[in-house]
Amino acid sequence: MNAAFSRTGKLRILVVEDEALVAMHLEDTLHALGHEVVATASRLPEALEAARTATFDAAIIDVNLDGQHSYDVADVLNERRIPFAFATGYGAAGLQERFRNTPTLAKPFMSSDLERILAQALGAGRAD
Amino acid sequence: MARISEVAVPVAPTEFEVLTRPDSGVLEAIPGAVYICDADGWVVRYNAEAEHLWGRKPTTGVSGDRFCGSYRLHRPDGTEMAHEDCPMAWAVRTGVSTRNAEVHIERPDGARIVAQVNIRALRGHNGQIEGAINCFQDITTQRELEGEVRRQRDDLDDFFENAAIPLHIVGRDGRIQRANKAELDLLGYAPDEYLGRHIAEFHADPPVIEDILARLGRGEKLERYPARLKAKDGSFRHVLITSSSRFENGKFINTRCFTTDVTQLREAELARRDSDARLAATYEAAPVGIIETDASGKLLRVNDALCKMLGRTREELLGMTFFDYTNAEDKAEEAALYGQQVEGEIDGYSLRKRAVRGDGRIVYVDVYSSTVPSPDGSFQYAVRVLQDVTEAKLAEDRLRESEKRMHDLLQALPAAVYTTDVEGRITFFNKAAAEMAGQEPDPGQKWCVTWRLYNTDGTYLPHDECPMAIALKEGRSVRGVEAIAERRDGTRVPFVPYPTPLRDAEGKMVGAINMLVDISERRKAEEYAERLAAIVEFSDDGIISKDVEGVIQTWNKGAERLFGYSVEEAVGKPIHMLVPSDRADEEPAILERIRRGEHIDHYETVRKRKDGTLIDVSLSISPLKDARGRVVGASKIARDVTERRKAEERRQLLVNELNHRVKNSLATVQSLAAQTFRGNDRDATFRRFEERLVALSRAHDALTRENWEGVGLRELVEKTVTPMSAHPWRVHIEGPRVRLRPKVALSLSLALHELCTNALKYGALSREEGTVSIAWQLVPTAPGKSSRIRLRWEESGGPKIKPPENKGFGSRLIEKALTHELGAKVELVFPPTGAVCTIETDIDQKETS
Repeated sequence: MNAAFSRTGKLRILVVEDEALVAMHLEDTLHALGHEVVATASRLPEALEAARTATFDAAIIDVNLDGQHSYDVADVLNERRIPFAFATGYGAAGLQERFRNTPTLAKPFMSSDLERILAQALGAGRAD
Repeated sequence: MARISEVAVPVAPTEFEVLTRPDSGVLEAIPGAVYICDADGWVVRYNAEAEHLWGRKPTTGVSGDRFCGSYRLHRPDGTEMAHEDCPMAWAVRTGVSTRNAEVHIERPDGARIVAQVNIRALRGHNGQIEGAINCFQDITTQRELEGEVRRQRDDLDDFFENAAIPLHIVGRDGRIQRANKAELDLLGYAPDEYLGRHIAEFHADPPVIEDILARLGRGEKLERYPARLKAKDGSFRHVLITSSSRFENGKFINTRCFTTDVTQLREAELARRDSDARLAATYEAAPVGIIETDASGKLLRVNDALCKMLGRTREELLGMTFFDYTNAEDKAEEAALYGQQVEGEIDGYSLRKRAVRGDGRIVYVDVYSSTVPSPDGSFQYAVRVLQDVTEAKLAEDRLRESEKRMHDLLQALPAAVYTTDVEGRITFFNKAAAEMAGQEPDPGQKWCVTWRLYNTDGTYLPHDECPMAIALKEGRSVRGVEAIAERRDGTRVPFVPYPTPLRDAEGKMVGAINMLVDISERRKAEEYAERLAAIVEFSDDGIISKDVEGVIQTWNKGAERLFGYSVEEAVGKPIHMLVPSDRADEEPAILERIRRGEHIDHYETVRKRKDGTLIDVSLSISPLKDARGRVVGASKIARDVTERRKAEERRQLLVNELNHRVKNSLATVQSLAAQTFRGNDRDATFRRFEERLVALSRAHDALTRENWEGVGLRELVEKTVTPMSAHPWRVHIEGPRVRLRPKVALSLSLALHELCTNALKYGALSREEGTVSIAWQLVPTAPGKSSRIRLRWEESGGPKIKPPENKGFGSRLIEKALTHELGAKVELVFPPTGAVCTIETDIDQKETS
């Protein structure tokens, strides 16, 4: 996917997703788009740890981690000024008020959707 | 209620005003000379006859002729009478009337006429003199004739009397010159035994005859002078002598004596003198007028009271018949009655009539006339008793008039009003009373106009115990009582009576008046207000009113429960105490809108309870206006929506959770498929699969946003088609607003996705210039049947196409899914110009069969 590559460059990405198969598909799609997945967290403490310590350019965060909201992870990333997008079955309407404007990937997704959302997240991050 | 006597009677014009009215032809209509002076004596009006008698035309008005229009006036004795001394001047100055006075008028040419004048002052309503009227006539000729007439009459009288009554004539020497037969018969003498003898010889009492002769010699008249004459048989006859002397040229000629034998009468008279004196005293002292009249109505005897009553002297009255002073309009009736009385058909009668006083005023008199029969039972004379009832009559008239006005007024009143006499019998009722009672009261009905009465507790209330009956029996007004009237048709009317006794001028109760005020409307309003108050009081909602400054005025139980403050704690406090600090600016904004008269509906916000906890409330606020429409405050209904909000939140949470699961499942399926097809023809088949999966997911999203209650067709088309067509303008969407139920939405969404995919691959969207038109309209259906739409997908501008040889999944999905699941009619054709798909389906049918 050269087109995508040329828009964002190769990115190091943190994936937070509790469903293993969905996480796998994400990883595959990101790879296919030419990015590197630096870590995949499936639970909140793990995700927080990675968010605080790992080195990456962007994150895709599932909003619901086995019944727990992952907004704390988003807060950490906001602090670190690392761009991110949510992945959710809710759509943007299901997000907390303060994250309404965060780029959101609706599951299931086409790889073109993922590419577009990442570009949005980076654009928002740069403008921040 | 106003007392009857208080009703005003309009003021009639005065006599003066009537007579001097410029357009009045009254004076000309009078068959005699008439003129009128004003209070200052200026002649203001006169008629042609007056001008004729005066022989001149006087100047009227101020500085014109005063008191009289004549050239000069003289008294009957020939002396001149200044105008300011004439009787008219007296009438104007003092109000004194003049009757039948004689005045000599001198005309400018020196001719004189004798005028008989009658003058009366004209008085205003308060008795003040406004002027005077003078009616006069020329009696010159009458005066000249009078002497002759009198002489002739005297002779006739002589003749008559000679024949009828004992009479003798005595010469200068005292000798009897003539005596008629009656005289001779009386004493029993032959003419030669009587004539030529000295009159003194026949008198029993020498001093008496000496006195008689002395008087007659002096020219005096004798009237019923009592004397005793000697009859031939030696007896004495008691007689009354009426005698007068005849002089010619100052010389005594003779004396004529009428002799009335009263011998028998005298004896009776002596016996009766005592009682007569008593009777006379009573007669004179009686406060009523008493008259004795003969058959012609001539007055024979009158008492002082009558003279006073009629304002005439005794002498004047004794020269009249009672008809003379009876008002013209009343004469006929009285004449008929008196005629019957005289004929003996009736013993007497009574009537009310108008009598004219000497001063021209009218008095109302009640007359009681009764016959005093002669010994043979025929009419001898009548005794008439007169009572002045002018005051009573006027008062009666006024009363009748004011009663009439009162009744007119009461009739016009919209309130039910009736009156009774002192016994409680209904004497008057107005229309409103009859309407309220549902009937007109029966004749003789007592106490109340209503049919039946009940107390407010529903017990029967007899009419003779009703408030009106109490008012009449106890002579007092009754207030503050309510009762219920029942009509014959069974309807009941609650009312408040206002019975009030009516009293005459002396304070004696003469009846009562009652006003019945229908309070059914008031009662309904009260009941309504009570119900409303109960609703407010027991409402679960907090209902609060506040003034324009935001100070709490009322506070119901609901408000107590909602906010935790008791009534005592809340009323008088500012409404701000309920507002959390972070919403402090809300209340001023609300108050501002209320002051402008706006209503605020379902304003969702947060308020603070007494314990500091916050509650979600929905506020509905309406301005409260006073009678003039000014906003004086607001009523506020606060509904606790915490529960509702929590339920909504829970529901949203569930929906989110469900979506999460569904989407995660779809994503998992996607992942599985991706792993399964890894390395195979990913760009074609797998991509097709992914697209279908995502299309299904997006249809879900659209429905989720609408809580699965359905979705707009336009939104569905846009969400499905637009993302797939690189340029939105290449897709033309047109159709009315239509809402689809979830199942229709999902199926249609998948079908559109297939059509779109096909167009991208082989059809119009595969070329830059190709376009797609998606249009729909409602299909008319029978009333009550489900709505139907017809949607048409039509491609154009694409490459030439031919129908596919095998039907792929897409075509099958479109035809089968829609036909099977929705019962839709689907037609998919592939003319060379581009694919055309027509879908006709029910849209709001609950479930397809």
